[in-house]
Amino acid sequence: MKTVTKEVLKTTANKLMFDMSDEQYDHLVSEFDILIKQMNLIGEIEGVDTAEPMTFPFDVTNDYLREDVATAPENKEEILKNSADVVDGQIRLPKVVK
Amino acid sequence: MEFEAVIGLEIHVEMKTKSKMFSSGPVSYGEDPNTEVNVVDMGFPGVMPVVNKQAVINAIRVSNALHMSIDDVVMFERKNYFYSDLPKGYQITQQFRPIGSNGYLIITTSQGERKIGIERLHMEEDTCKQLHSWDFSLLDYNRAGIPLIEIVSRPDLRTGEEAAKYVEKIRSIVSFLDVSDGKMEEGSLRCDVNISLREKGTEKFGTKVEIKNLNSIANIQKAIDFEISRQSIILDFGGVIEQETRRFDEGSKETVLMRVKTDAVDYKYFTEPNIAPIKLSKEFIDEAIRTSPELAEVKLERYKSLGLNEYDSNLLLADKDISNYYDEAIISGANPKLLANWIIGDVQSVLNKDGISIKSFKVSPSLLSELVLLIEQGKVSNKQAREFFAKMIENPISPKKLLEESGTSLISDEDTLKAIVKEVVDANEQSVIDYKNGKDRALGFIVGQIMKKTQGKANPGLTSKLVLEEIKRR
Amino acid sequence: MKYMNLSITKIHEAILKGEVTPLELVKEAIEACKKDDNNSFEYICEKEAIERVDKLDESKKDSLLYGIPVVIKDNYSTKDIPTTGSSNMLNGYVPIFSSEVVLRLEKAGAIVVAKATMDELAMGGSGTTGHLGITYNPWDKSKTHLIGGSSCGSASSVAAGIVPFSIGSDTGDSVRKPASYGALVGFKPSWGRISRFGLFPFATSLDHVAYFTRNVEDSAILLNVLAGRDDKDFSSSFKPVEDYTARLNESVKGKKIAVIKEIMDSISNTSIKEAFNKNIAALKNLGAIVEPVSIDHKLLKAIYPTYIIISCAESTSNNANLDGVKFGPRESGESFEEIMTNTRSKGFSRLIKRRFVIGGYSLLKENQDELFVRAQKCRRLIVDAFNKVFEKYDAIYCPASPKVAPLVSSDSDALSDEYLIADNYMAFANMGGFPSITLPLGFEDNLPFGGNLTGKPFDESGVLSIAKVIENCTGLKDLVAKEGK
Repeated sequence: MKTVTKEVLKTTANKLMFDMSDEQYDHLVSEFDILIKQMNLIGEIEGVDTAEPMTFPFDVTNDYLREDVATAPENKEEILKNSADVVDGQIRLPKVVK
Repeated sequence: MEFEAVIGLEIHVEMKTKSKMFSSGPVSYGEDPNTEVNVVDMGFPGVMPVVNKQAVINAIRVSNALHMSIDDVVMFERKNYFYSDLPKGYQITQQFRPIGSNGYLIITTSQGERKIGIERLHMEEDTCKQLHSWDFSLLDYNRAGIPLIEIVSRPDLRTGEEAAKYVEKIRSIVSFLDVSDGKMEEGSLRCDVNISLREKGTEKFGTKVEIKNLNSIANIQKAIDFEISRQSIILDFGGVIEQETRRFDEGSKETVLMRVKTDAVDYKYFTEPNIAPIKLSKEFIDEAIRTSPELAEVKLERYKSLGLNEYDSNLLLADKDISNYYDEAIISGANPKLLANWIIGDVQSVLNKDGISIKSFKVSPSLLSELVLLIEQGKVSNKQAREFFAKMIENPISPKKLLEESGTSLISDEDTLKAIVKEVVDANEQSVIDYKNGKDRALGFIVGQIMKKTQGKANPGLTSKLVLEEIKRR
Repeated sequence: MKYMNLSITKIHEAILKGEVTPLELVKEAIEACKKDDNNSFEYICEKEAIERVDKLDESKKDSLLYGIPVVIKDNYSTKDIPTTGSSNMLNGYVPIFSSEVVLRLEKAGAIVVAKATMDELAMGGSGTTGHLGITYNPWDKSKTHLIGGSSCGSASSVAAGIVPFSIGSDTGDSVRKPASYGALVGFKPSWGRISRFGLFPFATSLDHVAYFTRNVEDSAILLNVLAGRDDKDFSSSFKPVEDYTARLNESVKGKKIAVIKEIMDSISNTSIKEAFNKNIAALKNLGAIVEPVSIDHKLLKAIYPTYIIISCAESTSNNANLDGVKFGPRESGESFEEIMTNTRSKGFSRLIKRRFVIGGYSLLKENQDELFVRAQKCRRLIVDAFNKVFEKYDAIYCPASPKVAPLVSSDSDALSDEYLIADNYMAFANMGGFPSITLPLGFEDNLPFGGNLTGKPFDESGVLSIAKVIENCTGLKDLVAKEGK
């Protein structure tokens, strides 16, 4: 397992669109220290590598699909009322440069 | 040096389902911004995705048309990234198990037939639409959540022409299957091109360039042709191709740099935990395929079997809606060839003149076939039919009714006509003698006399036949 | 006369007899909400609640929840009522739709009187990290002990007798742990039994709707209202619902209950062990077969880190919609990237951000196999191990916590057995979607502690029937802090 550095964590945070204080990154490095140790212990558990990864709590396979029927849309004003910046019935952002 | 282009296409097709991929929000185009949105499409906290059955059926049908294996378990993953047009901060897509895989398409170009491999077909949801003004962007969520099919070809294409034919064929498929409008200009079919060059005869791939913003099939071909020559020149002069994204500039007909590709984005894919695996039964898949609308190539065979030639058939098939119109019209039992002629000729010219599509054409398929039946039965002449047709375009009433109103129904009843023929022949014995002496014009005179007597209502074909029979008898 | 300290059935009887009206009940609850000194509430719905009482349909008087006040955790979307998830990211957010749970409660005639505070976005088990700060334990008048979280306000409001029941959510033990600290019944039915539509997701594959009552029967009554298929939630189960009160008087005779040896071994508190053993003896007396069963110590120790990795990973994605664009406060910026970064940097607390980084890091391509996928594999081993126990036993019963409510300033040794196993094992029930209930077991220095009983998926009736017997044995029910010990 590679060592977790402050720089890597900062990049990870920035890609998640936020930043933290220096002291928080230090704190996080020590949290990772414990977590990585724990995960390494898990790696040693017999059969863990060959187990099928589990996403759902139990077998929930089903054959349900929603019928393609449209319901009435929400009122435009209601849909937009929680946004901080609405112009002409649309949410405004600084120009998005592609 | 001689180069070979290696081209792969990623096509996004917007489905025209009634509701969205994961919500019951309505799918519609051209509505006012943010009027076709529900809470799921906005990604409000606590909303959950529920898979649209028709979207799955559509994906099965297109997969089948592309000769793909269809996965009987439907699963979705989250593609995580932040962008202004992405409501939830992730897009629900099928990264690990696309519903369709390993297919192909046969295309015909000026160089002959080629088989193009298709790697995968998967379902996903569209993002919201951004309207850019000079200093800000506006977000319209009507498009957010509309079902998409993404079709990824193998890098089997070699020329701009091949790419254009390939896209044309995909467009025909999604259009005939009623999956999408397939309109590139309106964005319901979008195409990204990946292209690299390599020395002919070598196997190793060169550096890949991506071309975006292609809004017509013609532009796909132009962009690829330009890109091939651009890259060839660089390579010929010993240059290096940069890994970058370019767009096609319509004005200059050139590809221009959008951005240099940096490291591949890590989308942190993982299974969408809201959507448990969906098991598709064999019956469900079979039924989706069995009830699938006909593809153009299937229709072509059917039209040929009805006696249409390939040229006329293809004229009908150039527009799916016209071919559907034709299919509806032939149900009446009217002569298929005659009907085709009317649609290709008279109907098409009205559409062209008025600049409308067949969908807004007032004369219904059943009214048109009624008119054609009247011609077939000899109840109206071609000339009369054209007059009726002109009236029907203005006011779509039944041609039978027009016939009654005009009181100009042709006399096609043999016994009635025979009596008139006998009467006129009796009165013109000299003409009979002239005809028998070889003066063919005498026959025309007799027929003319009959027309005069019936005020033009005598069925012309039948009249000539009866007159000949009558003369022979004397 | 006070009613809010009574059980649902008692209040219902009082309404039917005409002793009290829904309006009087709501007023009593609202007054109590206003006087609350434990920091339980985000928003008191005084106007909304009174309006709703007006609209009550008297022909539905027979519904057990008719006119009865309820408190809802602030991570359930409530139409026209502010819902923040106790995060500054959602200050001022007023949803335009209600969660399915709220709709079902309202349909049954219950009246939402307040939104309860919580750990920010339901992450954290202390009840200290929400934007309103620490929520205190009503059993401790000195305000030095926590009620625990993340459903802290929901727990404290029922423990304090402000309402007879409340809705929380449980991703690791967020209802079942505070229930232990508050002498409450905290029930988390199977994954998929109750619709989660409108519940702000923390970790989708582990999130459960769960709730607090003060006795087992009320818990069954509530499940009758909340359980059932909802087409808006794809994970909602098609399994038919039952009358969950039907088997409440069933005998425990012959039922097999497993006590996990390694969990017991990791507990040092003697009061808890004594109370638990006393309860076991009583159950055996009634004919239950209670046996110690072993589960691999390594697996039990793995529950917590497995939970952390999976829940943090899912939470980074689940909360990516909080970006300041569509709802919630927005910070300024020159570009959308700057707006999102400034908004999220300011809006999320430190703890949340650290958890997001853990989750984001675990999902990176180069780390997924060793972190996220390994955790998912380990989850399978853990769930398999417990399912193996359920092959032979009707339920698993253990103390819900190794100690009573912690002090505000307490800290745990993150690597000790007591912390890793006894204090965090209950997440196994989230991993396997098992129905799991915490109920009072005893007191130490006037602070309560509870036991936890877990059963097979969708065996809610079976779990409730054993829980009822446990309750009968301890005699601990309808406990309210202010009048209690």
